[in-house]
Amino acid sequence: MDLVKRYIAAVQRELPEAKREEIGRELNANIMDQLDALTEQQGEISAAEVAALLKQMGHPRTVAQQFVPPQPFIHASYMALYKNTLFMVLGILFVLHLVEVTTYWLGSADMGLIRYGFALFGGFIDEACFGFTSITLAYWLMSRQQPLANAGCSSHWQPEKLPVAGPGWQHIKLEDIFTDLASYIFLLVVIWYPFYMSAEQLAQGSLFLSSNARLILQYSTPVIVLGIVHSLWQLQQRLWSRNMLASHVLLNATIAAIALYLASTSPLLQLNTERWHGVFNLQQLERSAMITLVIIALFPAWEALRDSLRLRKLQ
Amino acid sequence: MTTAQLDKMRLELRRGVLVLAVLASLKQPHYGYSLRKQLQDGGIDIDEGTLYPLIRRLAEQELLSSEWQQGEGRERRYYQLSELGAQLLSQLTDEWQHLNGALGSLLGTATQERQ
Repeated sequence: MDLVKRYIAAVQRELPEAKREEIGRELNANIMDQLDALTEQQGEISAAEVAALLKQMGHPRTVAQQFVPPQPFIHASYMALYKNTLFMVLGILFVLHLVEVTTYWLGSADMGLIRYGFALFGGFIDEACFGFTSITLAYWLMSRQQPLANAGCSSHWQPEKLPVAGPGWQHIKLEDIFTDLASYIFLLVVIWYPFYMSAEQLAQGSLFLSSNARLILQYSTPVIVLGIVHSLWQLQQRLWSRNMLASHVLLNATIAAIALYLASTSPLLQLNTERWHGVFNLQQLERSAMITLVIIALFPAWEALRDSLRLRKLQ
Repeated sequence: MTTAQLDKMRLELRRGVLVLAVLASLKQPHYGYSLRKQLQDGGIDIDEGTLYPLIRRLAEQELLSSEWQQGEGRERRYYQLSELGAQLLSQLTDEWQHLNGALGSLLGTATQERQ
């Protein structure tokens, strides 16, 4: 009977403490009944036969899970809400982190583009881990209480108020919204940094836009602010409408035009030639900046074209 | 259809029916092993890994009452249908008979079509 005791102890170890005693007692009674029945059929039974019976009952962990099925960390009724919260919070954290790192980068003499990239993504991973853990723990605590049936789904919904069944692209992805939002806020920080930084920080700064280029960008601020408002509108609606698409076409066409106009102006950069001496000359850097701006302009131009086509298809 | 698919569907099909069979069998008190024997004798083969946790769950839902009793030199936990369990059994029996009738017609039609 030592084997039975060991088996029950192994099952009990896998059970929550509050249920160990009761389930162990009951399991013992059930096994004893089965052993009695076996003895009745075969006479005296050997340790090997007891072991075979226990093996047939299943691994102690399996048996424990049959008595107390494992609970998911987050209850299924919260899962959709959990994923939505996670994406929203991670998106907001990325935007806030982008502002923080970009501000630091613009005022720092020793932070190059590669370090900026590392600081942006490495730091975001840190914050994302913190955000993920906090949200998961909050939902875990909620799941431990009595879970709500259909959490996040109002019982007052009306089928008539559901959006028209449109093409798949009509649903706006959260990552697209936050990518746009992060880009607009990045631009705002880059354009307006001379106004909130000290002269010392500016002197140490690593980004050198010419006053002409900066002026064009400053005049473009209302367009960028409109872009932020548009992203927030998308976040609220999450579905492309004709008005939203039309305004997005206009917005992207304007941004593409600004980028192309900026590419055509000269000088674009105001460089400390001593720092770059022997590495690049001014003409090479100006040409690279111009090509980069043309490439940048292609993205909003593509989105404007794509949305124009979608607008024609959308009823 | 693979054997695994068939097993999964059989399991799903049997899951609800087993509750009904257990509730119906526990009009008289039984301990775990004797209940299993009774079900087996009635043609319902159920392994202990399914049955014992199931009766515990039903007892936790107050559909069964339970009591530890000494018998044949050992203690055993006896289960019996509670008042709440009896009400539920009556409702589930009606539901089963309705379903059984409907399914009988459907399956009968399907058999005729196959022939």
